[in-house]
Amino acid sequence: MKKKVKKIFQSNEPYIFLIIIILGIVVQIRSGQFFTGNNIVDLLSAMIVPGLFAIAEFMALISGGIDVSFPALASLSAYATTKILLDKGYEGNVFLAFLIAVLIGALLGAINGYFIGYLNLNAMIVTLGTSSIFQGFMQGTLRANQLSVIPQGMKKFGTDSFITATNKVNGLSSVLPYTFLILIIVCALMFFVLRYTIFGRGIYAIGGNALSAHTAGFNVKRTKFIMYIIIGMIASIGGICRVCMMQQCHPTNMLGMEMNIIAGVVLGGVALTGGAGTLTGCMLGTFLIILVQNSMILLGIPTTWSDVFVGLVIVIGVSLTALQSSRTSRSKKKAVKEGA
Amino acid sequence: MKKSIAVALCAVMTMGMVGTCTTVFAAEEPDPTTDEAVVKAAEEEWEIAVVPKDSTNPWFVRMDTGVKEFADKTGVNCYQIDTGTIDATKQAQLVEDLIAQDVDAICVVPVDMQSMDSTLKKAKDAGIVVITHEGADLTNVDYDIEAFSNEGYGAFIMQNLAEAMGEEGVYTTMVASLTNGSHNEWADAAVEYQKEHYPNMTLLEENPRVESDDNGDTAYNVAKELIKTYPDLKGIMGTSSFDAPGVARAIQELGLVDKFFTSGTGMPADNAELLKSGVLKSLTLWDPAKSGAAMVDLACKVLNGEEIAAPANLYVDGYTEMNFREGSETVLEGQGWITIDAENVDDLGF
Repeated sequence: MKKKVKKIFQSNEPYIFLIIIILGIVVQIRSGQFFTGNNIVDLLSAMIVPGLFAIAEFMALISGGIDVSFPALASLSAYATTKILLDKGYEGNVFLAFLIAVLIGALLGAINGYFIGYLNLNAMIVTLGTSSIFQGFMQGTLRANQLSVIPQGMKKFGTDSFITATNKVNGLSSVLPYTFLILIIVCALMFFVLRYTIFGRGIYAIGGNALSAHTAGFNVKRTKFIMYIIIGMIASIGGICRVCMMQQCHPTNMLGMEMNIIAGVVLGGVALTGGAGTLTGCMLGTFLIILVQNSMILLGIPTTWSDVFVGLVIVIGVSLTALQSSRTSRSKKKAVKEGA
Repeated sequence: MKKSIAVALCAVMTMGMVGTCTTVFAAEEPDPTTDEAVVKAAEEEWEIAVVPKDSTNPWFVRMDTGVKEFADKTGVNCYQIDTGTIDATKQAQLVEDLIAQDVDAICVVPVDMQSMDSTLKKAKDAGIVVITHEGADLTNVDYDIEAFSNEGYGAFIMQNLAEAMGEEGVYTTMVASLTNGSHNEWADAAVEYQKEHYPNMTLLEENPRVESDDNGDTAYNVAKELIKTYPDLKGIMGTSSFDAPGVARAIQELGLVDKFFTSGTGMPADNAELLKSGVLKSLTLWDPAKSGAAMVDLACKVLNGEEIAAPANLYVDGYTEMNFREGSETVLEGQGWITIDAENVDDLGF
């Protein structure tokens, strides 16, 4: 029992959780608006798309790689999907949209996967390159501009209320759309895959040490290849969710999100060197970033200083994480010494 | 007695009707065929080429409409020609080709100021009249036309917001970023205008300016947060074309239609639904068709050897009283802003 408690406090999650709670209390004191139904719903709904992206990025980082192409990938597949459905005059429900987007996402992810997995190229460089290609393809070949009307089924899915929270004091009611369920499902599915399947354990093993993983019998190349396909699929799901919720498709709207997503995942204790980190931590870290970004006004921080504040939270958070992991590794070394 | 009242009433009504008629006529587009220089241009068959950034963009398709209409109406040999992609090098090449063809005037909406400036020098050296639009920093031009001054446009957005808000209540301003030049000038001018004209409106002291990062989703989230934090807030003035539409989404979701208001720059087709459903009362913009026609008219005037003195009349609605920008001898600013509402949103075609 004691050991278990000790183990929990050696990980990052409780600290990130603590920061979230403290920040929440500060916002509550400053504005009296934090622990209200509609504010929580607002935060959860702002979390949906970044949350999906974070799951995708989490896998890339765990495997010792990185993916900076997912915003462009998601934009391209979401745009192409919306455009196809509009051209066909599609009026059915949203499932077809997700299906097409996931297929396109898998294809684009396979491009990343081939170069990174089979040709063993540096993931950062490859995804930087494909990111430009995806953007260029969208703007050049598809001549993408804003689609202000989206298929009815997608619009309905993005605006229909899963949970509606009304604040009794000021009468404001916020809507949490069904896209939130998508985040929950993808999260649960990936939690299972990463924890209980050979493929999932393989990703951790490769991130820890690719050579040892190979020796231990993991097919490193194929695992990486499939992983980038899955990343492409999840990113595309995120793209479709964004289009449904915005009720319009804007081709450049998601670009530039990668940095804050990576920051959130690292904040959650995922090592940039690969091999270590939990999905829970990843989601908590991402939530912290969303929380900070969406509480500047509630906190009463002037616009001029809000970027500084977001940056500060990231730096402090990552420092805590780093401190924590160095402490853990030190105590592990000590344990090894004692054992010897 | 009764009769005289009736007669008086009739007279008043007739006058009223005449009055309305004249205002209708005043709102009617000015006629460029009454411009001497334009008549001369048609007679002399001067060739005037308009070079937009890129013709696939609906914005410049609309500009093309304006130029074509001008040509049809006046008989002036003017046309729009472009490269198909937004590319500074290709645009410069196209202008060089036009110089080689020895056209009489070139009107350009430059992609890149620096590279275009050196190309335009060649045109001027060849004796070709050069008119630009949205290129105030260019030096090798006869004149540059801007649809409006930043002060004027800011005040215009404020008029629209004030009308929606019933000229009372607390409001704040939204810009893409605090470092964006024109957005902040519009917002400053709007606040100035409010202080002078709408005493019952007040700027939100705690947060007078927020950022949208030029992103509709950020605008939406920021609006929701503002509404939560400040229960008295009643309106947001937008500047970037994503601001007011993003705020509108928040208004819609929170159930605040007709209770919370926004106005600002926005593209018509993208926001037609929001305007028609009444979530947005109005958006503000300028019409590229008019800018195109105004450039051609000014080119005719310069070719005709006319002295351009403020206020210059270019016989295009919103461009009839062009004034020089302070401290500049080449940049002319008009009053070419327009309001887009549920009624005219479908007429613009972009």
